[in-house]
Amino acid sequence: VATDYVVAQVEDLPMGTHKIVQVRGREIGVFNVAGRYYALPSNCIHQNGPLCRGSVSGTVESSAEGGWKPTWVREGEIVICPWHTMEFDITTGRCLAEPRRRIPTYQVTVVDSEIWVSIP
Amino acid sequence: MNEIRHSTLEGRTPKKLPKGVKVIDVDVHAHETPAALIPYCEMPWRKSLEVVSTVAERYLDIPFFAPQMAVWSPPFPQSGSERRQVVTSASQMRKDLDELGIDIGVIFPDNLLLLAALRDPDYATAIARAYNRWLIDEWLGEDNGMKGAIVAPSQNPIAAAEEIRHYASHKHVAAIYLPSCCVEPLYGHRSYDPIFEAAQETNLPVMLHSVTAIFPVFPFNLNCFSTMFSAHIVSHGLSMVANLLSIMETGVPARYPKLRIGFSESGLAWVPWIMMRMDKEYKERRRELPFLTDLPSTYMRQMFFATQPIEEPENMREMATILSLFGGEQSVMFASDWPHHDFDHPNKVLQIPVTAETQRNILRENALRFLKLEERT
Repeated sequence: VATDYVVAQVEDLPMGTHKIVQVRGREIGVFNVAGRYYALPSNCIHQNGPLCRGSVSGTVESSAEGGWKPTWVREGEIVICPWHTMEFDITTGRCLAEPRRRIPTYQVTVVDSEIWVSIP
Repeated sequence: MNEIRHSTLEGRTPKKLPKGVKVIDVDVHAHETPAALIPYCEMPWRKSLEVVSTVAERYLDIPFFAPQMAVWSPPFPQSGSERRQVVTSASQMRKDLDELGIDIGVIFPDNLLLLAALRDPDYATAIARAYNRWLIDEWLGEDNGMKGAIVAPSQNPIAAAEEIRHYASHKHVAAIYLPSCCVEPLYGHRSYDPIFEAAQETNLPVMLHSVTAIFPVFPFNLNCFSTMFSAHIVSHGLSMVANLLSIMETGVPARYPKLRIGFSESGLAWVPWIMMRMDKEYKERRRELPFLTDLPSTYMRQMFFATQPIEEPENMREMATILSLFGGEQSVMFASDWPHHDFDHPNKVLQIPVTAETQRNILRENALRFLKLEERT
């Protein structure tokens, strides 16, 4: 059964920012990506580094459709672990280098300017 | 010299071959002398071959033709000097492969293993073209189990692609040989795209194959070693590693998803090592390889690896473990390298304790999937 926690006020988390909060002894990253809120556990699947203390960035992709030209994409949607640069999609928790693996994502809701995170 | 020496295979046909399995050997070598290629070579390079054909020939080492340059360590008598180390005709090869218990052999050159060391791109291209004509004409004319690998001159990828398209429909052409010894730049370089494009288009696999040389390009700057012991290990093994890293860097397996890529004459133990190293590094540096959408190991599991020169731990069970580390049950192909100095008799590969199915895969089925012989004939 999940429990909801207030983790921030909307005015504390402007677009493009994120913050680390402690909930029930867990370190959690709360992100504002282009006006939508996301929350991830701050634990990298690689070596259990403090993932969400890393910076938010874009990434490089290249595809046949784009003529295999390396392209900077998804600015603001990728968090990079400060230990070894593992990249994660903030919106899904998916690991970019290991697409079959992901970290859990927590449900986030906004009620009366308060950001709530639902922790299972 | 070598030609008068006899084969030493008689009476040594492998006794433990599984019944009914027709063995495919993905690496046997035909002996192309400069003299043999003269009538197949265009002018003015035919004149060059006339000169080269007067130069004394050593094993895989002919100045101006196959410049190995690894001649500064003391030689000792070798076991190979008591036996024939060259095969000069298809009928001789057929006889040898019968003694080895092999049904189909894929022919690679001897001296053109050093083709990429030649600096003049027009000369190298002419020699490659002459070899391909000779191969088709003198080795692949009959339905006798001889299959051939068309040589792609790395010095001229456009001409290489033309050669591939020209010969691809020949029913006994089964692969494209990428000369890997001394090749510069390495095969991931975008200038080679026409080769990979032609290979994918014609449904022919590419096979990387190196040889020993000392040359000032990585990893052949082997003047740091004093023995052939070291030079031989590095020349084959690290050449495969360097080219594999290079094609990963530019996403060749992602950009040519139907291309089949094989690695020859480096044994198998390096495969799990580089696979694990690439996966490790990729986690930190994925953005440098944006062409890939998955771990490098995922792409490596689509590639093929020839057995020879197979590692020989005291307990061959260790080789079964090595195979299991990279899915080799589905990707390893038997190769003898006959008649070279370090050829592997099937007896050795048969000592790896694997299931009957895996044994059958290694002896035949994996090569069938690599070469796609059934689709091509």
